[in-house]
Amino acid sequence: MTRAAVCALLVAASTRAQVPLGLDAYIPAPENNPLSSEKIALGRKLFFDKRLSRDGSIACATCHDPKLAFSDARPVAVGIAGRKGTRRSPRIANRAYGNSFFWDGRAATLEEQAGGPIANSLEMDLPVADAASRVGLTEQQLRQALASYVRTILSGDSPYDKFIVGDRSALNAPAQEGLKIFRGKGGCIACHLGPNLTDERFHNTGVGVGDEGRAKWSGRREDTAAFKTPSLRDVAAAPPYMHDGSLATLEDVVDHYNRGGRANPHLDPELHELRLSDGEKKALVAFLQSLTGTIHEGR
Amino acid sequence: MWTGPSVTLLGGPSKDGKWLSYVERGDLALRELATGRTVLVTKRPGGSKEFAYFSTISPDSRRIAYAWFNELGFYELRIADLDGGEPRTLYRNEEAGFVQPCAWSADGTQILTLLFRKDNISQIVMQPAAGGLPKVLKSLNWVYPKKMDLSPDGRWIVYDSFASENSGERTIYLLAVDGTTERRLISAPGDHLFPVWTPDGKSVVYASGTDVRILSMAGGKSQSVAENLGRVVPLGITRDGTYYYGLRTGGTDVFASEIDGGAQRPVSIRFPGRNSQPAWSPDGQWLAFLSRRGTETFGEETRVLVLRAAKGDEEREVAPKLARMEAPHWTPDGKSLLVRGTDRLGRDGLYRVDPETAAASRMAESPDACSSAAKAVICGTELRVGTERYQTTLEKPIEFAWAPQGGAILAGDGTRLVRIPLDHSAVQKIDTPPGVSIHPNGRTIAFTSGSTSSEVWSLKIP
Repeated sequence: MTRAAVCALLVAASTRAQVPLGLDAYIPAPENNPLSSEKIALGRKLFFDKRLSRDGSIACATCHDPKLAFSDARPVAVGIAGRKGTRRSPRIANRAYGNSFFWDGRAATLEEQAGGPIANSLEMDLPVADAASRVGLTEQQLRQALASYVRTILSGDSPYDKFIVGDRSALNAPAQEGLKIFRGKGGCIACHLGPNLTDERFHNTGVGVGDEGRAKWSGRREDTAAFKTPSLRDVAAAPPYMHDGSLATLEDVVDHYNRGGRANPHLDPELHELRLSDGEKKALVAFLQSLTGTIHEGR
Repeated sequence: MWTGPSVTLLGGPSKDGKWLSYVERGDLALRELATGRTVLVTKRPGGSKEFAYFSTISPDSRRIAYAWFNELGFYELRIADLDGGEPRTLYRNEEAGFVQPCAWSADGTQILTLLFRKDNISQIVMQPAAGGLPKVLKSLNWVYPKKMDLSPDGRWIVYDSFASENSGERTIYLLAVDGTTERRLISAPGDHLFPVWTPDGKSVVYASGTDVRILSMAGGKSQSVAENLGRVVPLGITRDGTYYYGLRTGGTDVFASEIDGGAQRPVSIRFPGRNSQPAWSPDGQWLAFLSRRGTETFGEETRVLVLRAAKGDEEREVAPKLARMEAPHWTPDGKSLLVRGTDRLGRDGLYRVDPETAAASRMAESPDACSSAAKAVICGTELRVGTERYQTTLEKPIEFAWAPQGGAILAGDGTRLVRIPLDHSAVQKIDTPPGVSIHPNGRTIAFTSGSTSSEVWSLKIP
């Protein structure tokens, strides 16, 4: 680290997002895009601005609806003129803590990610520079503002969070039983861990294996049809599930993993038949429902 | 400063240099550095399973925060006055199964603490000294800082963690207490850890391998303070700039000898003084054992497996990605090693380790020991030879060999050996050192011998 960098760091000041219970106070942000209230406010406006799509029909919030845990209810994303994508719109709360973005992790930063849906011909279908120009910004300003706003979309304060800090009454008995299964027999914690309940890694669970997934970007055969572990926060609030939206309910998801995923040459070795009883499956669903919290944004 | 069997390295010096906190037979204790006088802060009732662990003394030398393993089987954060009085529990949460208080804020209102949760993440938190919920600054999946410290102005935390996700090396990070920023401080390769602030807050002192170095926050440059100290475990810096550190001394080694006595031969060539828990392969061609590496993990040192060829000089390391390993032994076919341990996701269990690739996979249960060549099988605690069945008297036998003179089978559980006569007479315990493994020739054994201890040293930071 250079002297200048150390000195700059020691006097650095930036806006802090309000962090709900269960999340880290430290929110990573690139050095060249520290959080500021101005950028957050601008990013929020842009997030809802339909001018960022070619025909002015959709905004980021169309697929990432705050009322649906910043996702939507469709199996796959639908862009302008009803164009169907190939993957589900992911929930984007707590992506501030992520270390790669999109289901296949092809974007290294939120700034890089921010332009993806705008430029995607199946989504908003507009060159990012053109979108920026429409709203009187440079491309960098657009990306930085959107990324800053997304960093403030934070979900916490769930019954699970209260339980974790010591409130033993915050989870009912089935949910507590489900938590035990989540950590033990179910082995869910192998991938869904930490405050955000994701390892931020890529796994093939036997869903939508016709999609190359992570392998397209990593070049590794073993990453074929592997997709990033999604956070489980607010999972009950936004069905359907998996990267292709192919499972309609949480019960379906639990059944899928109970069977050990779907066999294919690159199935993650962590997956195996779980032999959960009906009661255990119900308990696991009860626990997953306890992950619904309060989403803070723009602050 | 201090040597002897009572030394533990779980505490640190008071800022005024008067006291050193440590653990005395499970009780939190203070040692007056000038006189060697000892004061017990806690008094466990006889037979109690509770005990004290890591501790840190407040800047005014009046209070001490410490981890206490409680009657329910998890650690809680407690605080006590140095001059007596009842301890007070600051944070008691089964979900945060392990706590390590690391440093106090200068005004004594906050305690920088590491929580290690049941779901296998560690969290850097600020715990109000008056009680209440800790504020979580940063969570780390699977890994944990080995030491953290708070700057004298209370604004900055230094801690160590892995240099990258796939790196075994640690480096030092700087984290703002207000959560606004974080930065890696040392980019040079190497194992850099145990950072502590100097009293003026202008530099960070840390361990780098067996050396102690100092990093200037103004200049960004690192320079040596002392070199080749050994297995350093830093304890803290006093207000006058005296740096206290522990040294792990002594060692254990794996030896081979004949079962009926004779010369003891050290087994390891490359890693002397670091080895324990040997296990012969079923074909007798390899001896596997645990070998200490790196530095502290929650007060214990980390380990790898070593394979030593029975003939020749070949000796190689096998480092599976496991957080903890114990009791290695071989699968009956000799193709894999089995260890009890914990993976990096925190899951306890039995793991199969590939000796070629070091890949570790979790197993549901241990396979029964058997040997088709010897026409004998151990199933559970029972030995079967042909149609005959014998009780081994061992709780979990994992290896056996025909006695050279015939007529009996020697069986071991990794701790002790017994002789099982085939005429069904009484099973005999064989007098060997503890932690013994028997070669399939029935004559040679391998075992652990030696001991480790700790010392407290000090040096003046320039």
